[in-house]
Amino acid sequence: MSQNRLQFLLALLWLGFCFVATPKAHAQDPPNPEVVDENPLPTEEEVVEDDPNAVDPNSPYLVILGADIHTVTEGLIPRGTILCKDGRILKLGKRVSIPKGARRIDARGMQAYPGLIAVDSSGVVRGRGQNLRDEYDPFALNVDLGLAGGLTLVQTGGALAKLKHGTLDGVFVGETHWVKLSYSTTSPTGRRKLREELGRVRDYLRAHRQWALSKELEPDFEDPEPEAKGFKKEYLDLLRGEAVARFSANSLKDLLATCDLLEEYPMQAVIVGGREAWACAGRLGRVGAQWVITPRAKSWADETVNHPSGWSIENARILWEHGVSFAILPNERWISTGGLAGRDLLTLPMEAAFAIRGGLPQQAALRALTLDAAKILGVDHRLGSLEPGKDADIILCDGDLFHYRTFVQWAVVDGKVVYDKMKAPYFAHIRPRSADSLEEVVEEIQRAIDAPEEE
Amino acid sequence: MLQDAPRDPVGRAVVYRFDKVETLDGEALENVTILVRNGVIERMGKAVVIPEHATMHDYRGSGKIAMPPFALSHANFLVRDRRGSGRNAKYRAVDSLWLEEGWEKDLLKEGVVLVGVDPPGRGVPGRTSVLRVDGQVETPDPLVADLHLKITVSNSSSAKRLIRDSLAVADKAIEKENQARKDWEKARADWEAKQKEKAEEEKKKEQTEDGTIPPAVAQGEDEQKDKDGQEQAPPEEFTPPPVDPNIAPFVEWIRQQRVAQVWLSSGADWLHWQDLLGERELPYEIVLWHGTSQNIYQVADAIAATELRVDVPARISFLPYTRVRANLPAELAKAGVSKMILSPSSDSWSAVKSYRFAVAEVVANGLDRQMALRGMSLEPAMSMGQEEVLGPLKVGSPATFVIWNGDPLNPMSQADRVLVDGVVVYDRAKAEAEDQS
Repeated sequence: MSQNRLQFLLALLWLGFCFVATPKAHAQDPPNPEVVDENPLPTEEEVVEDDPNAVDPNSPYLVILGADIHTVTEGLIPRGTILCKDGRILKLGKRVSIPKGARRIDARGMQAYPGLIAVDSSGVVRGRGQNLRDEYDPFALNVDLGLAGGLTLVQTGGALAKLKHGTLDGVFVGETHWVKLSYSTTSPTGRRKLREELGRVRDYLRAHRQWALSKELEPDFEDPEPEAKGFKKEYLDLLRGEAVARFSANSLKDLLATCDLLEEYPMQAVIVGGREAWACAGRLGRVGAQWVITPRAKSWADETVNHPSGWSIENARILWEHGVSFAILPNERWISTGGLAGRDLLTLPMEAAFAIRGGLPQQAALRALTLDAAKILGVDHRLGSLEPGKDADIILCDGDLFHYRTFVQWAVVDGKVVYDKMKAPYFAHIRPRSADSLEEVVEEIQRAIDAPEEE
Repeated sequence: MLQDAPRDPVGRAVVYRFDKVETLDGEALENVTILVRNGVIERMGKAVVIPEHATMHDYRGSGKIAMPPFALSHANFLVRDRRGSGRNAKYRAVDSLWLEEGWEKDLLKEGVVLVGVDPPGRGVPGRTSVLRVDGQVETPDPLVADLHLKITVSNSSSAKRLIRDSLAVADKAIEKENQARKDWEKARADWEAKQKEKAEEEKKKEQTEDGTIPPAVAQGEDEQKDKDGQEQAPPEEFTPPPVDPNIAPFVEWIRQQRVAQVWLSSGADWLHWQDLLGERELPYEIVLWHGTSQNIYQVADAIAATELRVDVPARISFLPYTRVRANLPAELAKAGVSKMILSPSSDSWSAVKSYRFAVAEVVANGLDRQMALRGMSLEPAMSMGQEEVLGPLKVGSPATFVIWNGDPLNPMSQADRVLVDGVVVYDRAKAEAEDQS
């Protein structure tokens, strides 16, 4: 009973502190319209009557307690709290008050990262473009395994899909207008044709601009509008900046040729591959394209050529040092259960770990899987880092993301737990999480102390 | 009907005495006497006064059990047709019947007196029908030719588009009809008002000429005027604009005049169905038709929350990608599904033959026995709207029951006799004798 009294006193003390501290904090900080104080000061009655730990399963709030938060943009917050509301991150930091009834995850000892993003993947979920939602199977093995591997967003079939177990709400994020271009040195005719077509697009755009200008300036200008012909409509989108060109280039020759093309016809571009990119990183950095690289893709140096060739374990590090922005994708762009571990999207961080082995800073590797990938897909305003206002797509790992023993323990997408290692049937049996939380252990000890001695 | 089967005289009481009767109206009763007169159970219980001259069938000590017969909700081996996955709502299952000789006897042998048949195909293949199995005629006169609208849902954009578009077109048809009705009502009202005006004018004229006029004559004159009048009268009865026969069932469904049967095979299908339904409140029943592996257990709670009738195959399935056995009927019951049809695990003859065994397995693995028995007989009958043909055994209900020579869920038991309205429509001893001769 002395403990109860103590608790009551503590509560009173805390109340007093709140009364003193809160107005002060408000006076110091400029008013932030986004941060709403959702936890009004409880009256004494509430403190006495309500269990402060009561959880409402339908609460809009989710609190992740005690995890080391890797924000990507703002560094590490050790043992912080993440407060999510309605699928967004509301607050995060060391001191965050917890709204009443909030759902909570006790993540002490865990590492919190933004959900990982797979650029240019294929076959993780069904469906293309606008049909993605109608084809989605939120109970599919791939969804669960993707979440178990830390993925929360995949680009597939020209669309962006969130991986969510058990619901269709919000799985379709949007379409990505990528145009696949082939500019390989192995097909000179193809290269010539592409250049010619892009040239026609440029001529058309110039003629059209000229025509529009004349029409605006000269009152009796009667010329007909120039016709868009002789090229694919999507090429027009490319040069207008409404679409993204997707190239595949690995050899030094192809990489440099692609750079030439991009310098001649500036457009948004994503280049997938980049195995020999380390040899021309400075040039690549100046072109401003974005990259999707596979650090473990190997090809041996060609001894017969007089320029650098072959793969390098330092590829990612060299690109990063030259300011090239890239995402990382494994050799297999899907989730494979075929038996060879570590080559597919199930183990995306392993691929990045390989780049770290080659000297890429860990922070940069994390960016490549999260924020830089989101940038490539044009969703970095919503995803890719842990910041207030962004989507609450969070993975909680039991160790460093790039360690091979690390498991994703929980995956949260849009503020809802969509994967729990102990509840999904795949990895629950491997190093199971202790069922007793620290609170329960402490409570048990306290009970043992309080219990009157028998006999 | 079997020619040799004993026909019980009208008005004469027939008495059956059993050690055990599965009434399906609560727990099984022990040591029961059933008195049947005019095809109806007149008395039933432990102490029944047996009238004189009553025919007596005393099965006590033989281990025989009486129980309401079975109803198969999807006897689709009786139906054959080639139809794809489009919008085929105009078809009825009864039009695709493909019956082989002796089909009725084979069904009666398994204790089945009612069968539902579905139109074959996917998408919106048509409407279901109900047949009575009574061994009376080879080509059946369906009890219900046009019952539920069958719809299969899956996580495919084309399947979803089909249903979404059908509903949208039906909505438009309803709107069109409502508009037409409004127009007709207005035209009718205008015309009637005009007629009244005319009549009054006539009356005034006549009255000014000479006193009163017999009403019959006035009316006759009115009719003549109508014919001469330039304006044509709108029709007396409203005729709705024609509706595409593939859309008409949807129109009826939206108007709550028809129940749909929604076929789902996975947990995702359920979510997609909810997505299609949106805010609409439409009457429907759920038919689950998954394969040997299923993840429907994931949405069991959501399905139970609808309190709808669920048709589930009697089968122990596996959790996806595992060999972990899952008893979906028991899981659904646990989640709170109370109206459950347990159907054979596939639409084939062999599944009907192993039906009782399959149900026994589901019961042995945790499904309530009473629920299972109801799911084989009363629930499918209710789904077909035939609760008056096939109901629990109690005083006043029709004497429609099967006499099994053992526990009906024991696959070794056989149906000895099947009675429909007190008439023996199947007698195993006679049928076997016939087969041998």
